[in-house]
Amino acid sequence: MAVIPHPFGPRTRPEITQLAQAIVADVARILCNPGTTGTAGRNESTPTVRPHLIEAPDDYEEMNAFFRQRQWGDGLPLVPPTQERVARMLQYTQRSPEEVVATVAPGFGQATVEHIAINAVLAGCSPPFLPLLIAAVEAVSAPEFNLQSVQTTTNPATPWLIVSGPVTRQLQINSGINCLGQGTWANAVLGRALRLILQNIGGGLPEVMDRATHGQPGKYSFCCAENEDGNPWEPLHIEHGHAPEHSTVTVVAAAGTLNINTHAKDVTDLLRMIADAMCYAASNDYRAEGGGEPWVVLSPEHAEILKQAGLTKAGVKARLWELSRMPAHLMAKKDLIRTQHNRRAELGELSPDSLVPISATPELIGILVAGGPGGHSVYIPSYGNTRSVTRRVDTTCNK
Amino acid sequence: MPMILAPTATLGTSALQLRRTLPDLSGKVVGFIDNTKPNFNFLADDLGDLLIKKFGVRNVIKQRKHSSSRAASEKLMAAMVESCDAVIIGSGD
Repeated sequence: MAVIPHPFGPRTRPEITQLAQAIVADVARILCNPGTTGTAGRNESTPTVRPHLIEAPDDYEEMNAFFRQRQWGDGLPLVPPTQERVARMLQYTQRSPEEVVATVAPGFGQATVEHIAINAVLAGCSPPFLPLLIAAVEAVSAPEFNLQSVQTTTNPATPWLIVSGPVTRQLQINSGINCLGQGTWANAVLGRALRLILQNIGGGLPEVMDRATHGQPGKYSFCCAENEDGNPWEPLHIEHGHAPEHSTVTVVAAAGTLNINTHAKDVTDLLRMIADAMCYAASNDYRAEGGGEPWVVLSPEHAEILKQAGLTKAGVKARLWELSRMPAHLMAKKDLIRTQHNRRAELGELSPDSLVPISATPELIGILVAGGPGGHSVYIPSYGNTRSVTRRVDTTCNK
Repeated sequence: MPMILAPTATLGTSALQLRRTLPDLSGKVVGFIDNTKPNFNFLADDLGDLLIKKFGVRNVIKQRKHSSSRAASEKLMAAMVESCDAVIIGSGD
């Protein structure tokens, strides 16, 4: 191995020359030494391996210590995935337990229906939650989501699950007061189950393949539903081309949450407050290739002000896109260089006075209405090099 | 003792040739794919010069990805495989 001690990015030019001199012999040796055969890569053609049945301790504390020792969890107590519990979970899908739903980056483990069910049990899910999780695994594994990068980056990004449609009420997913907070079973365990899937099937273990500098609380669970009663526009699943009677889950690689507290009643004031929250110079969204895909979670109160002013959802996106353009000179010099490199094909040459759009088009700004009463909305910056993915939840089951 | 099902899946198991082996570097072409991480371009410049001066490398080819968080394009990879005897594909941070 040729190792350059961290940190590497801030080193000066002369320091890099010294480092190159120190490691060039190792690099030359590695280029010439006998090669090895690795075991990492996509494995769609690999035969499916059924889950192992193993003995676990009877005692609750010992069992959880057993789980921790194997790094199967997120630090919180887990539910033992017994055959009986997993079998009950599997009754809520018509798909075969052996069917591979996706291979999950970065380890490219096979997410069979059965493996998803096991992790759902482990997280504390109710059996009817399984179809939504299967759809979520399909969504995060779509190429445009860029899961390999999301799972391994130093950025805190994590999948945020947005549920839209009738399944919201059926599964009692919170879309109202404190919908991004604690206290609702479905929200808590659905996001948690996806995290365990990413870790146990995808190999995204902290300090191993998950290299997040800090991570974020949303990596425990990040799930809410659309507040259809408080939404004055078309529901998200219909916006994404699905029928009213269908339900969807949308995954967003979210870098965190930022509260927007404003009692603005004037539409121009309100849009300016939201755009100001979006427009921060260290954002990944401005510097990503083709721009990012940031999201705004509007409270019903704020959404109503916008609706009363005659704005459609598309109109809100268009206004925010214009208002959130950022003067290029606000970025650090090195960040501006990266932005220029990443967005040259789209924006041409940037000068310090250029106004950089947050996304390639207004349509790429996501709008969700969720939450309870109050003058708060939430800005959710994205990882940048990612696009949200929506999948229909198949609620037909053979129970 | 209760029996439970392990939540882990076998990670990717397809064989992957990680390195192309060379008897030595004399007369060879070494490629660098700049993954756009800060300073990697300078490191590639210096390593390339040293590989030529000290190890007899005939030529160094450098290409740059669009973004560190996106895989290199198949076109770029194919071109590097075609042109180079060995390729160094980036640095972490």
